[in-house]
Amino acid sequence: MTSLEIRDLGVVFSGKEILSGLNLNVSSGSYAAILGPSGCGKTTLLRSIAGLITPASGTIRFGKQLVSVSSLVLPPHKRNIGYVPQEGGLFPHLTVGDNVGFALSRDLDKEEKSSIVDEMLKLVGLEGFNSRRPHQLSGGQQTRVALARALAMKPAMVLLDEPFAALDQTLRTEISEEVVALLKATKTTTIMVTHDREDALVSADLIALMRSGQVVQSGAPTQVYSAPISAEVAQSTGDIVTLPAYMSADQRIYSPLHSSSSNFDPNGELLIRPEEIHISAVSQPAGKNQVKAAISKINYYGHDALIELKLEGWELPLRARVTGNIDFRLGQAVYAELQGPLRWVPRKATHQ
Amino acid sequence: MPQELLERNTAALRKIGTLQYFLYLASLLAVLCAALPLAYLLNRATSSDADSISTVLLRAKSINVLVTTLTLTAVVTLGAVLVGVVLAWILNHVSIRNMTAWRAATVIPIAIPSYVFTYCWMTLNPGLRGFWAATLVLILSTAPFVTLATLAALRRVDWSQYEVAQTLGLNPLKTFFKITVPQIRNQVAAGALLVALYVLSDFGAVALLGVDTFTRAISNLYRGSFDRSTAAVLSLLLVAISAVIISLESRVRSDSEARRASTKIVAEIKPFHSAKLRLVSYLFLATYVSLSLALPLMLLMSRFISNQVELDFAGLTSATFNTVSAAAIGAVIAVSIALPVGVLLQQGSRLAKLADASVLVVHSLPGIVMGLALVALGSQVGWLYQTLGLLAFSYALLFMAKGVGSVRTALAKVPTNLLEISTTLGQNKVQTIRRVAIPLAAPGILSGTLLIFLAAMKELPATLMLRPTGFETLATEIWNYTSISRFSEAAPYALTLVLVAAIPTFLINRPDRSENARESS
Amino acid sequence: MKLKARLVGLSTLILASAALISGCSSSPSAEESLTIYSGRAEEYIAPFLQQFSAETGIKLDIRYGDSAALAAQLLEEGENSPADLFLSQDAGSLGAVSDFDLLQKLPSDLLTKVDAKYQSSKQDWIGVTGRVRVFAYSPERVSNLPKSVDDLTNSEWKGRIGIAPTNGSFQAFVTAMILNRGESATEQWLKGIQQNNPKLYEKNSQIVEAIDAGQLDLGLVNHYYVWEVSEELGRSIKAKIDFFAPGDIGNMVNVSGAGILKSSSKTDLAQRFIEFLLSDGIQKEVVNKTHEYSLVFPDLTPSGVPAFLEIKSPAVDLTSLSDLKRTQNLLIKVGLI
Repeated sequence: MTSLEIRDLGVVFSGKEILSGLNLNVSSGSYAAILGPSGCGKTTLLRSIAGLITPASGTIRFGKQLVSVSSLVLPPHKRNIGYVPQEGGLFPHLTVGDNVGFALSRDLDKEEKSSIVDEMLKLVGLEGFNSRRPHQLSGGQQTRVALARALAMKPAMVLLDEPFAALDQTLRTEISEEVVALLKATKTTTIMVTHDREDALVSADLIALMRSGQVVQSGAPTQVYSAPISAEVAQSTGDIVTLPAYMSADQRIYSPLHSSSSNFDPNGELLIRPEEIHISAVSQPAGKNQVKAAISKINYYGHDALIELKLEGWELPLRARVTGNIDFRLGQAVYAELQGPLRWVPRKATHQ
Repeated sequence: MPQELLERNTAALRKIGTLQYFLYLASLLAVLCAALPLAYLLNRATSSDADSISTVLLRAKSINVLVTTLTLTAVVTLGAVLVGVVLAWILNHVSIRNMTAWRAATVIPIAIPSYVFTYCWMTLNPGLRGFWAATLVLILSTAPFVTLATLAALRRVDWSQYEVAQTLGLNPLKTFFKITVPQIRNQVAAGALLVALYVLSDFGAVALLGVDTFTRAISNLYRGSFDRSTAAVLSLLLVAISAVIISLESRVRSDSEARRASTKIVAEIKPFHSAKLRLVSYLFLATYVSLSLALPLMLLMSRFISNQVELDFAGLTSATFNTVSAAAIGAVIAVSIALPVGVLLQQGSRLAKLADASVLVVHSLPGIVMGLALVALGSQVGWLYQTLGLLAFSYALLFMAKGVGSVRTALAKVPTNLLEISTTLGQNKVQTIRRVAIPLAAPGILSGTLLIFLAAMKELPATLMLRPTGFETLATEIWNYTSISRFSEAAPYALTLVLVAAIPTFLINRPDRSENARESS
Repeated sequence: MKLKARLVGLSTLILASAALISGCSSSPSAEESLTIYSGRAEEYIAPFLQQFSAETGIKLDIRYGDSAALAAQLLEEGENSPADLFLSQDAGSLGAVSDFDLLQKLPSDLLTKVDAKYQSSKQDWIGVTGRVRVFAYSPERVSNLPKSVDDLTNSEWKGRIGIAPTNGSFQAFVTAMILNRGESATEQWLKGIQQNNPKLYEKNSQIVEAIDAGQLDLGLVNHYYVWEVSEELGRSIKAKIDFFAPGDIGNMVNVSGAGILKSSSKTDLAQRFIEFLLSDGIQKEVVNKTHEYSLVFPDLTPSGVPAFLEIKSPAVDLTSLSDLKRTQNLLIKVGLI
């Protein structure tokens, strides 16, 4: 178990900056998810942690030990990390058992080895698979064997690269839950790279959001979800609605969802999660912060629905998530009300 | 802090350094080995006067020889590629009974010495002479170089790609050219290169069939006028031709392959069962095997039986033992040098590229030239001269090129991802090479070793000069008898040679356990 | 585990081979021995060599090979040659080694045993057996036998004759013709042959086999090939040999012979061996077993061929056969090789 500290990491490939000034802290024993769209450099980050890439600048520390100082790096085989690449990367020439026992010291005798292998296979729910060959396994089984192989060496840290990407939806939930429970139970520091927000939110203690070679925000899942630093960042953890807004010098907010503010000059925007907009039928006079709107679209998902609204007097679309019984019609006039925190972010420099 | 890290890493760095040092040393050794005969030739060539060199090179006959050599090489290479690729495709994609036996039977012909093979054909048709006869004989005897290389490559092509291609509306032939060819191109090119170099250096077939190639001209110069300088000039010309061919081959080869190789477990191959295709396949296989293997064997047998020659069992046994041990040691030496060169080639090292190219260049030299070069050098070192060691070393030198190609392509096919995973699993470079790269490349390495072994077993000119005095091999015994036209007495030795060649060929082509598992799953 | 087993196997193999290599290089024998490079085929000479060892107790280490290739090897080895003796099938190969001053002068008691025209003018090699150029023919299809090689340039032989122009024995014969008649006359003769569209072969034995198979009427070969081919085929064959008119250049005599290397320190033993080869018993055996002529006893005649003395071979300086460059150039010029 070890903590991970990355300072100012820069990686350059053939003149192109893949990572630049990247910072990340992961405390010992926690499960961190690196979340970002493809091409943002998250796999490069993972490979830098593994020691498979020589960074151009920055430091990487496992606990107190420096493993990477600018281009001076500790080779991967000295880092004691368990790396589970995409698609598992099982050795096709070895049986499942030999794959799992691959990293075990040669000093161990045969029985010790096989008992560790059995234990690991049991851990990942593949007891008795020892003599199978990788090509006889399903995608999920391959991932689990790769995990068992990584865990068998009692790594200080486990690195997972899109571990569940190859699995179908039903299997995915099941396996990812199992794997996460397993890693958490063993208190293994885990860094998982993914582009899937659900994978990240469900499993991680810490989410680091990546954009073009940098970690733009990190924190507990609830924190990054509820307190995004920008619309773009907010998007990566869930659906987001932005509304133009004005924050006055005394920190009062004016926006289309504030009935009192009919006329203002926006200096920023309000970030709203759709479930924070409450809509109700127009039956009595509007409440304090209820504004009139018309329903322009309904996307029904069963357990909930996304309802698109047009606010009266504004040509802005707004999405509200509604759960439970949905008895709204297209074109119906409703009241919309913001029932959540006011997240005002200043307008980006480019927009001004 | 950086200092602290540095110190901690010193041990690790030193270990990697040692490996790298070893790889460089082995590649350097390969370059030096290849440089030996070239240095000898240069020395001989420069000792002749410029006048006689120009008369040799400029006469009309030399131009003819050049044209004949190039045409023969081109036509045979083309033919061998066609036959070899079709054979490999059938053996990999069509549901055939007794697959292992067929696979072995299509490879074994390279173990039959060129002069024996040609002689058998000439007995059948004494009128057989000239360019096209030589083309036929050489295609039959060199196609296995292509078959062997292509088979290894085809096994690694992901079957799901065929299926995808077919769903995209490509017919099998188009699928082959669009999907398969790009993925086997490198191996086919490597095999074709071996064929071309074989044709350049072959003496037996062209001499018996009366085709004037450089090798025949060189041999005539040595035998007729003991004109070593002119022979050296012609040999250097041969080296130049092979250098051109080698650079052509490296252009065909694409280097992006290592990056393309994925860690994905390849889908199993589902052989074609169509009755029509199977019939055609059986016909093709049967025709090839009967022309290149069954026919010569039957002729040797019938000569042997009809003449009722007494078998010298003791001689046969000792010649077999000698052949196998010399060829095996030679193959082991060659592969131990070829492996580090191949590993270094993967890192894109220039030294390794030089080693690869120089080993190949030397491969086009006729046996008599290599033999004499090693005689000139070896006789200076009395304790080494005409020992089993030097003989094995000369086999390694002569045939290393056959291994380097296989090792190179086999290692290129190992996904870099798997090597990285191994290092993250605590294995250093040496362990990773030993535990992941070599086992995964094993089929290619083994078939490379086999090629060297088979070639060494039938080698004659260098063997005659460099073997320990009194050390008879199957090839020298065959020569002992054929040189005085006693083919019936040579027959048992030739048959034994084929038999001995058949055993490792059969073993290597036997589907391994994992493939069995694939078939049953 | 499997890999481990393989590695163990491999290292065992390497160790075993190391043992083999060292075992082969050390030769602790205290007995007297001679190293012979033999261009004479094992089949023909091995029994005599065994007889020599049995009689004298001298061990013989023999390296068989093609005479010309062995000569080339001796030239490369130079002073470092491990060989004591060189036995060659033809005078040319001996001459090449002699030209580089690698052979010892032989004592006169050996030289006197053989006619001076069958030994080196430098007296450093000596002929042991004689082999004569003849023509082989099909008795069924050839009734009018040629009297001279010149007859073969007549148009009646068009498409009927075979030669082996790359073969050493044919080239030696052409060399002899150049020496006797001059270059331009020889060129004329070669052109005449060329105009008759001869079939070209690599080996003398192929010519004889082609005659037997009915594909050829007549060919230029050495005198013992008809016997050799019929031995191989295990039956009598439909080919005969005959000589040209006495004194014709077509009847040229070449010799197989022996020389002692200068680098050898065993001159006495080597001379004993040559003496043995020239001894009565061996010469008689050679005539019987290999169908060659004895140079020591020219009146001994192999079965089925004319007596040696009747052939009246033309005078040819065998010493000059070592350099066939002129001959080859001529053959190239005419287009035969």
